[in-house]
Amino acid sequence: MPATSRRPGARAAARLALPLAAVAALALAGCTAADPGDASSTPKPGGTLVYATGDAEPDCLDPHVGGNYPQALLAGQVLESLVSLDEDRQVIPWLAEAWTTSDDGLSWDFTLRDDIVFTDGTPFDAAAVKANVEHLQDPATQSSTGYLAVGKVASVEVVDETTARFHLTAPDSALLESLAQPWTAMESPAGLARGMEENCRAPIGSGPFVVDAWVPQDHVSLVRNEDYRGGPADRGRDGAAYLEAIEWRFLPDAASRYAALQAGQVDVIDNAQPDALRQAREGADGLVEIDAPRPGASNRIELNSGQAPFDDERVREAFIRAVQVDAGIDSLFFGTADRSHSVLSSVEPLAYSDPTLFEPDLDAANALLDEAGWSAKGADGIRTKDGARLVLRFPVSTNQSIPAEQSLFEQIQATAKEAGFEVQLEPLDLSSWYGALFAHEYELVSAPYTKIGPDVLRILYHSDSIVPAPSGYFANLAQLSNPELDALLTEAASASDPAERAADYEAAQRIILEGFYALPLYDQQNQYLHRDAVQGARALPTVSTPWFADAWLAD
Amino acid sequence: MSDLELRAGASPADAPRPPGRGRGRHRMPRPSALFAALFVGFLLVAVVWPGLLETAPPDAIAPAEAFQPPSAGHWFGTDESGRDVYSRVIAGTAPSLLIGVLATAIGLALGLLLGGVAALGGRVLDFLIGRVNEVLFAFPGILLALLVIVLWGPGPVTATIAVGLSTAPGYARIIRGQLLAIRGSGYVEAARVLGHGRARILGAHILPNALVPIAALATLGVGQAVVWASSLSFLGLGAQPPAAEWGAMLSAGRTYLGTAWWLTVFPGLMIVATTLATTVLGRTLTARDGARR
Repeated sequence: MPATSRRPGARAAARLALPLAAVAALALAGCTAADPGDASSTPKPGGTLVYATGDAEPDCLDPHVGGNYPQALLAGQVLESLVSLDEDRQVIPWLAEAWTTSDDGLSWDFTLRDDIVFTDGTPFDAAAVKANVEHLQDPATQSSTGYLAVGKVASVEVVDETTARFHLTAPDSALLESLAQPWTAMESPAGLARGMEENCRAPIGSGPFVVDAWVPQDHVSLVRNEDYRGGPADRGRDGAAYLEAIEWRFLPDAASRYAALQAGQVDVIDNAQPDALRQAREGADGLVEIDAPRPGASNRIELNSGQAPFDDERVREAFIRAVQVDAGIDSLFFGTADRSHSVLSSVEPLAYSDPTLFEPDLDAANALLDEAGWSAKGADGIRTKDGARLVLRFPVSTNQSIPAEQSLFEQIQATAKEAGFEVQLEPLDLSSWYGALFAHEYELVSAPYTKIGPDVLRILYHSDSIVPAPSGYFANLAQLSNPELDALLTEAASASDPAERAADYEAAQRIILEGFYALPLYDQQNQYLHRDAVQGARALPTVSTPWFADAWLAD
Repeated sequence: MSDLELRAGASPADAPRPPGRGRGRHRMPRPSALFAALFVGFLLVAVVWPGLLETAPPDAIAPAEAFQPPSAGHWFGTDESGRDVYSRVIAGTAPSLLIGVLATAIGLALGLLLGGVAALGGRVLDFLIGRVNEVLFAFPGILLALLVIVLWGPGPVTATIAVGLSTAPGYARIIRGQLLAIRGSGYVEAARVLGHGRARILGAHILPNALVPIAALATLGVGQAVVWASSLSFLGLGAQPPAAEWGAMLSAGRTYLGTAWWLTVFPGLMIVATTLATTVLGRTLTARDGARR
């Protein structure tokens, strides 16, 4: 066989090449040493960046399916959206160059770039946009995030190759924000046509990297898209990524992730822990932080108002008045997280906050519980009513909750006990956690939800969201059903006047906060740490996922 | 007859108590055994009256006092929620040790049953149990335990059963060997020749002589079971929050290993010390048993 006969020669060549490469490297090192300033500012192409993620490994890499943050992290490297946001959260072009809306707000025309080709060779055009929206809306896709995002889109009309017209069932003030998200990113129609299984393994987009291989439980290899020419309008350069490849490792354990970063085994980590962040902020180890709080909802604990005991507002208020949160956040997060009193992220301009509703007051909590009929107490200090104990089941997704947060939940458990609540913390893996939610076996739950803009309120608190999406997930975990709130959220989502929209959202947030349906904790913490040799990495302002098209390695 | 007597004298435990011929060094316990016994005594107090030893309520949080290093006020420091680590280590003794002891009991009981049936129940049963045991031996014990937990869900009860089940094959094998050796011994043969019934031979000769070494073995096993139980809790499959348990404390403290060593060192030391103490005790018992023979 020719292959075997050639191999010894190849080895000899490699043996020769190694010392040569070493000499060349030394010579290069000599050059850069002479001119260090230049070396750090001129991008150096090539190399493999190792990214270690602490988020759960997705079951499916196609973010249309389901639609969670771990999928968005990876899909952001592979797929592109129609629009993006700049640092001031203004909508800017990406795959769509321009857009106009009709006076009644029921139709939108998107003018598409004509020079984009998916990495399988399929051209990006209006037909591709139509295929993607239909894919999101197809129940067989089992989409939840993307499905909700395009919920008002009745159909997409192919006007010509570069013009896609969206027909809406109602005006949608959040359409552009919805389309800026990675969960509605554009995929190759030919790729989608391969079927769910294959598309899940390697979705095909037009982004700076391509999925090369996925070794489950270990890593995904991404290689550079040599023909890449896109990018959001604020990218500032054209052309392919500097990095040759990205190795996307799954390292769920926070301590080992940080240790791997310190040892230089990985270049970037996400979900950096508070103590690691504190060390990085104090200048240790040559690490650089990217602090990018996620938009949409804040991290909050939802109180399930759909069943006893939280169907009684007094019991909800009692719980919120009983628990102590501030001191715990200070000590567990070492000052890297600020207490929130809003259900929206602090990056959202329309976030409404009211700290007075969350003042701890144990006496008031006790009085409220007595009034609500939970006046008897067992020997262990837990209140009872008609023989039933005041138990609050609290399933915790260990994939979506960092250790500091789980410790905070333990503190909440301890302080709630003083008022006579028995909080049952159940740390669960992601699928068991979904199982507990689907079966309504919870009174408390903390579920991060990331979406651009205040329209996230409609997804989280409109009564329609109690009905499960095709994936089985329902986002209204507080099971809040209030016609007045529904009306406000619907009106705000259709409002064309910004002042009216803002007023509606404020009124809606007051109903949620004043009804004690949620206990806000802090913004969704989203901090990346990378070695200082990694240059040009940034988080996209859309949903704060990292973007490596312009990143390079300085060593 | 004299031949039979001689053989009986050399076989295991013809004399249940050491007569005057026991060697002197076994009469006085070694210092290590003394320390081990003292430490096990301390553990027993921690299990039965934890309140005697605790300096603070183990679940009482004080966020303002989080991450304090060991001091006069907090001997083992405080954890991420300001809880007293020393008191939590004491409170964690009961669940950690109980899981270990109960799991060993389950393992031993199952082992006795399986080993007994294999040794005394005839060739077919012996063959079947032997093969099943070999299959189970092919898996590391902790893997078997994980399998049980996957089937029945996490929690302290499942963890106990899981560890117990996965130690059973080991006990079964040793017990079978022990029983076979005793069954073939001279005094059992003698009893049979004398016309004693099966049940009497089993109850009066075989079981008592088999149980003494097994008791020593079980003491050794408790240490191992404590480590396994802690491992399961470390993985989040045993004790659930806020219960203090050594493995769970190790797991929670691991996040802060770089900044607060006392969160992991003290529960870790307790696991090591417990395993060491039960092992030393087990070995002392085994040695005494050997000397008696």
